[in-house]
Amino acid sequence: MLAPLSWLKEYVTITLPPKKLGDRLTEVGLGTEKIHTTKEDTVFDLEITPNRPDLLSIIGVAREVAAIEQKKLNFPKLKTNLKPTAPILPLKIKTNYEINPRFTAIIIDGITVKESPLWLKKRLEQMGQRTINNIVDITNYVMLELGNPLHAFDYHKIKGNSMTVALSKGGESYKSVDGIMYHLPENAVIIKDTEGVIDLCGIKGGYSSGTFNDTKTIVIRVPVEIPSLIRKTSQRLSLRSEASSIFERGVNKGGTTETLKRAVDLIVELAGGKIASELYDFKKQEFEPTPLKLRLERLHFVLGIEIATKTVLEILTNLNLSPKLVGKDTIETTIPTYRNDLKIEEDLLEEVARLYGYNNFPKTLPQGQISTYPIPYFKDYKIDEKIKNILKASNFSEVFTYSLISSKELQLVEIKSDSVLRVDNPVSRDFEYLRPTLKANLLKALIQNKANFKEVNLFELGKVYIGKSIDKAKEEYHLSGISNSKNYYEIKGIIEKILKDSNGTGIQSKIEVVDDGIYFEINYTNLLENLNSKNKYKTFHPLPKYPALVEDMSLIVPQNVQTGTIIDAIKNQSSLIKEVTLLDTYEDSKTFHIVYQSNDKNLTSSEVSEIRDKFVNTLEKKYTIHLKST
Amino acid sequence: MEEELINLKNTAVSFILEAEDLDSLEATRAQFLGRNGKLTLLIKDIPKLPKEKRPAIGKLTNEIKVILEDTLSQALEKLKAQKTKSVHEKIDPTAPGIKPNIGHLHPMSQVLYDVVDVFKEIGFQAADGPEIETDYYNFEALNIPKDHPARDTQQTLYLDIANAKVNPGEIILRTQTSAMQGRVMEKTQPPLRVIVPGKNFRYEQVDASHGFEFWQVEGFMVDTNVRLTDLFGTIDYVLRKLMGQEIKLKFATTNFPFVEPGVDTYMECTVCKGKGCSFCKFAGWSEIMPAGMIHPNVLKAVGYDSQKVTGFAFAIGLSRLVTLRYKMDDLRLLTNPDLRIINQF
Repeated sequence: MLAPLSWLKEYVTITLPPKKLGDRLTEVGLGTEKIHTTKEDTVFDLEITPNRPDLLSIIGVAREVAAIEQKKLNFPKLKTNLKPTAPILPLKIKTNYEINPRFTAIIIDGITVKESPLWLKKRLEQMGQRTINNIVDITNYVMLELGNPLHAFDYHKIKGNSMTVALSKGGESYKSVDGIMYHLPENAVIIKDTEGVIDLCGIKGGYSSGTFNDTKTIVIRVPVEIPSLIRKTSQRLSLRSEASSIFERGVNKGGTTETLKRAVDLIVELAGGKIASELYDFKKQEFEPTPLKLRLERLHFVLGIEIATKTVLEILTNLNLSPKLVGKDTIETTIPTYRNDLKIEEDLLEEVARLYGYNNFPKTLPQGQISTYPIPYFKDYKIDEKIKNILKASNFSEVFTYSLISSKELQLVEIKSDSVLRVDNPVSRDFEYLRPTLKANLLKALIQNKANFKEVNLFELGKVYIGKSIDKAKEEYHLSGISNSKNYYEIKGIIEKILKDSNGTGIQSKIEVVDDGIYFEINYTNLLENLNSKNKYKTFHPLPKYPALVEDMSLIVPQNVQTGTIIDAIKNQSSLIKEVTLLDTYEDSKTFHIVYQSNDKNLTSSEVSEIRDKFVNTLEKKYTIHLKST
Repeated sequence: MEEELINLKNTAVSFILEAEDLDSLEATRAQFLGRNGKLTLLIKDIPKLPKEKRPAIGKLTNEIKVILEDTLSQALEKLKAQKTKSVHEKIDPTAPGIKPNIGHLHPMSQVLYDVVDVFKEIGFQAADGPEIETDYYNFEALNIPKDHPARDTQQTLYLDIANAKVNPGEIILRTQTSAMQGRVMEKTQPPLRVIVPGKNFRYEQVDASHGFEFWQVEGFMVDTNVRLTDLFGTIDYVLRKLMGQEIKLKFATTNFPFVEPGVDTYMECTVCKGKGCSFCKFAGWSEIMPAGMIHPNVLKAVGYDSQKVTGFAFAIGLSRLVTLRYKMDDLRLLTNPDLRIINQF
């Protein structure tokens, strides 16, 4: 919302310099994004939150400035009493309160359509508006000034002198006043004459009844629309206007007649003409200010400070909320119709707090109990950090990549796109699918880094999304990595270390040889679940009382026998074998390191040689593995 | 025999004096005085000599042995001194050290773990929830009914519902970690202090300061005595701990349907100190932590009585916090797996 200082000054005396005023506006909720200063004027560019449609008008901004400056607001003087001054022209209006809660209108006859005066043109240009002719410009000006959108119809072009508010059936053709054709969706609020659609209510006026140079008589309509209906139509047509933004957020339901008066005054002044109808004001109900209570005790409790009752009353008065102190603790306010955001007591707390000034509040830290129980969905980030540090110590660096990937990336990892979860409205084709694996992004990251680094070791801890259809979707954390400098056994060792440190032996993991290196993947969700189900802390094993006997033994192993098989075969022979590790491999010979130890006694060499004979025998018979002769 | 001994002594002395390092000195010692050394062997032969010659030869051999041992120990000390000196001469302390091969944690992780730690100090626990979320938790439970204009500020990515028994628009990628408010609160009772780090998704074109995927840390606390000043104090504490004591903060009013009163937090640009520069896009201040007192409708949705308990909620733009802390001028740097970026941290 743009707000020129010169225009604001028409309604309120401003003493703060622009920069200070901008800071205060931001503090009270009108985010001052920029202040444009020219020789002639200063224009504030304000970010208006969706709950404040009233601030999409100069008078609304001026009211906030008045509250900041603690000054009175001067509303424009309204001259007309809206009584007819010319012969009455016939008009049949049919409306439906369910889709159009208020329809305020009047006919003006005998106008002259021409160029707007310079002051009006300048003002609209300042607001970024195109000037058209005096009538259209006045309707735009009054909307920007007061915040109630209005539209002028050419009376003589309304067929059958008939205006009927209805919902579109869908498919109707509609030409807007700027000459663009639309096919209407269903349930758009429209006005029909006896021949067709003459208005797309709340969004954009129609061409067939538009005000052009030959227009002599106009119907001015100031409506109240249903926010959700306007919003849906505007979204379906991707058509936004100043008017639709206001209606979507909720227009000032009590402001239609004042708006009409202001428009009539300006039209009579700038285009001539006389009122040629009674005031039409079809409304579902009287739209009047509503009462809202504020308890001072509650105010002090929630805000955390004592604000003097006098100050609270002043703030509410400056906001035009007519506060009355009832008893010691309660203030009764009256909420004007333009402040439809003030519905509950908490809304009033904010009014007091924001004008008191958020930056004038003391800062405290919360009191109260700190729970020792884990909250639902608890996550221990220490575990992540610990495990990532193992990878870091192994010379892996961490990356964060997108969850959304393309069909090309799926091809890269040979996954069919129809088995992967998909976004219906992706920002682009590159980000259409929810990754079922971290592999694609890591492969790409490896290739990307090869240009600058000889050795690349990358990992990511991130979510993957499993399931073919959304009702069976599952999110899992994977810990995956890729390396072009480490060999299979080094990667395997890192995974073993991670799993061992997290009590997770047996957790699903895989290692794959890929074109440029080695890729690995650990189901991290499983790892965490497993960790939670187990005792959190390790149990200390007492140091052995008796020494271990150690021997290194070289075996001649046929090609088809795997190391793991041999280690298991040796270990299974006796509980006194505490450890078997592969020391070295040379051609068909493998050297194993074997540790014998008893918890109860010193082992003698004859006991050891008995065990040794047993497994050597088994290895010979079962796997034709021979002891290497030295 | 005497002559032989004298020659041996001369040879040995000259060998000792010529030894250039400890190894050759040791070799020389072994050659003459070792178990099979020349002098040792000669001494062993003494008993074979005629009786009358033995005392003189014995005396001479002893003298030679003492001389050689003295010379050796002097040479040894000299060489040792030389070695220490030369080692020192070889070290160039100005040359770079040989670094161990250690990888790097992503800056986002580093900041995230700091965030988790700082909140731990004031009793907040971390929670983790789904990214594939329902419209209910993401919007409705947060007082954002369908067709609420606030939905415009969070354009949503919807999921393909082919072959699934769900209504269109019901399942989405969460647009805010605030979605976890309802999930956590409906499963427990106050008092609670929670943070929820996580990834969010929005239909947004990518540029230097926007992304369709970005990280947030949601936080909320509910108790019998939570006040607006506590929210200001918590934000102030946390941001100073994370970004430095000297940062400047200011608060402003804003509106999110799930808070009332609503608060926005601005931090002064650390590069230009509020003057406006290209890093802060000439704004001087950066919006960093929207917050507010939890709206009674949100508490009601999880069955809490808003007259008995109050609470506050906030969201930290984690991606933004990372770029602000490290003075990175583009959010996209965080999702670029280039090691030239990551290795800086």
